[in-house]
Amino acid sequence: MKIEDKYWRDPVLLAAVAPLAVVMIAFFLVPLVMTAVLTFQTTQYYRLSWSWDLKIWTEVFSKPHYWTIMVRTVVMALVCVAICIAIAFPAAYALATRLKTFKTQIQILIIFAFLTDAVLKTFGWILILDKNGVANWLLMHIGFPADALNLLFTPAGTMIGMVYNLVAYPMFTIYLSLVRIDRDLVLAAYDAGASRLRTFFEVTLPLSRPGLYSGAVLVFVLSLGAFLEPKVLGGGTAPLASELIRQSFETRVNWPLGAALTMVLIVIGALMLALSSAFALRRRSAPGRPA
Amino acid sequence: MNAQRLRNALVDTLLVGTVVLLLLFFYAPIATLVAFSFTSSRVLTLPIESFSLAWYGELFSKPDFLPAVRNSAVVAAVSTLFATVLGTAGAVAWIRYRFRMQAAFRALTFAPLLFPQLLLGVVMLLWFSVLGSWLGFSNGLFTVIIGHVVYITPFALVVVAVQVYGFDETLEDAARDAGANGWQVFREVTFPLLWPGIFSAAIFAFLLSWGNFYISYSLAGTARTLPIFVYSGIAVGSSPIYPALATLNLVPALLLVVTAEFLRRRALKRQSSGNLAS
Repeated sequence: MKIEDKYWRDPVLLAAVAPLAVVMIAFFLVPLVMTAVLTFQTTQYYRLSWSWDLKIWTEVFSKPHYWTIMVRTVVMALVCVAICIAIAFPAAYALATRLKTFKTQIQILIIFAFLTDAVLKTFGWILILDKNGVANWLLMHIGFPADALNLLFTPAGTMIGMVYNLVAYPMFTIYLSLVRIDRDLVLAAYDAGASRLRTFFEVTLPLSRPGLYSGAVLVFVLSLGAFLEPKVLGGGTAPLASELIRQSFETRVNWPLGAALTMVLIVIGALMLALSSAFALRRRSAPGRPA
Repeated sequence: MNAQRLRNALVDTLLVGTVVLLLLFFYAPIATLVAFSFTSSRVLTLPIESFSLAWYGELFSKPDFLPAVRNSAVVAAVSTLFATVLGTAGAVAWIRYRFRMQAAFRALTFAPLLFPQLLLGVVMLLWFSVLGSWLGFSNGLFTVIIGHVVYITPFALVVVAVQVYGFDETLEDAARDAGANGWQVFREVTFPLLWPGIFSAAIFAFLLSWGNFYISYSLAGTARTLPIFVYSGIAVGSSPIYPALATLNLVPALLLVVTAEFLRRRALKRQSSGNLAS
């Protein structure tokens, strides 16, 4: 790969970079700053007033109600990460090392399911998890009592939906880091007499760590914003942060409050991102530990 | 040795089993929805006693969903165009160039991928509301398109970047040595070589936009796209016309993926026969 040095006065570089940079600054960066600015305003009679004070932040920090929901959101996100990694790793490993013949077909099937409308898939889950739904019907026919499962409108229902919608992300990242592993390293370990199990734990697993970390972080930050799942599958019984944010916009028409709660989630996500990249870097530079 | 072989076979079975289970998991809700769209009954429970196209007939006798389909198509087409072009240019700048503030450029263009869609939608909603009250516009399809472009371009960028990364630039040098000018090199060498990546990026972009709910929901104002229409339908109560509508929503995506796979195979075949000829 040849990399060209470019200068900002080069029209080719400007043409490649400027349009995208302008779009992202105008519609992503500036809105983020605006959100932060809005948290210092207040509303009066459902209208925004530019007051520049800390009223909203004192409200956010003084109401335990918000923090119960924030903590629940973070706990759900962590559980979701654990389940997603537990499913995604063996699946990605199988896809990278076994299943040579049907690999492309399986990849297309996974990508197609991933890209299908989330509302539609969530709707499908309602029909499966409902008390008279497909899951209970199947269970009844293999001998379980009627209504064996009661998952719709519970946190477990929410979790199924969240895992369903997010598990593809760590599959992609782990798969990409697994296929990049030099096959010779694995063969060298075998030559040196290591068993398959030992080779897996001492060569393959450490080398797939970038994919593991990035997949886990992606699932965590994305599940902070889960909205359809708690609402439609959880039935609103255990609302997550997204529901708070939606209510402050739609029901209470309190933009500064919604903005502040959004900032709280963004900060939690950013902290987790910083934490995991610091952890990954420390691991890489730890003495006596290659890779 | 036999025990060893048995254990290996067991591991293989477990691994392949995970993938099979995962595919079942992925397709269970989709298959359920499609199956229920063909029921003749009014209630959406098993067993499905007889199959019929009654609900499709019902759907088309009162086509109030058609504006939503049109909106979805317009949004998806325009956002795909912008996301693919911006993503391709961005991918080249990411991988092939080195310039001042490149790290900042990378962070800025990748960050939307790390944002839950709802938060991305909310952040942009706040901005458009403030901007709208200053400039006197209200949210509609064009704000949805802007939102989709911000959300989807990083995906398109990553897909194209993979293609750019595997790019053999000696071919460009060869074309230049043969006397081609900058534009000719781009048109005859660079673009055809990047085309598979750009094409997949466009398909990715289209499907992400077509099926997007969160960002459209935040930014659409009073306009409705197909996912918003379905969402308001399931919130009201699960009438059997919604599985039918959702199944119809799958059709364009399916056609697109099948076409893409067909084109990819044909390109592969042509490439291998080309290699034989040379």
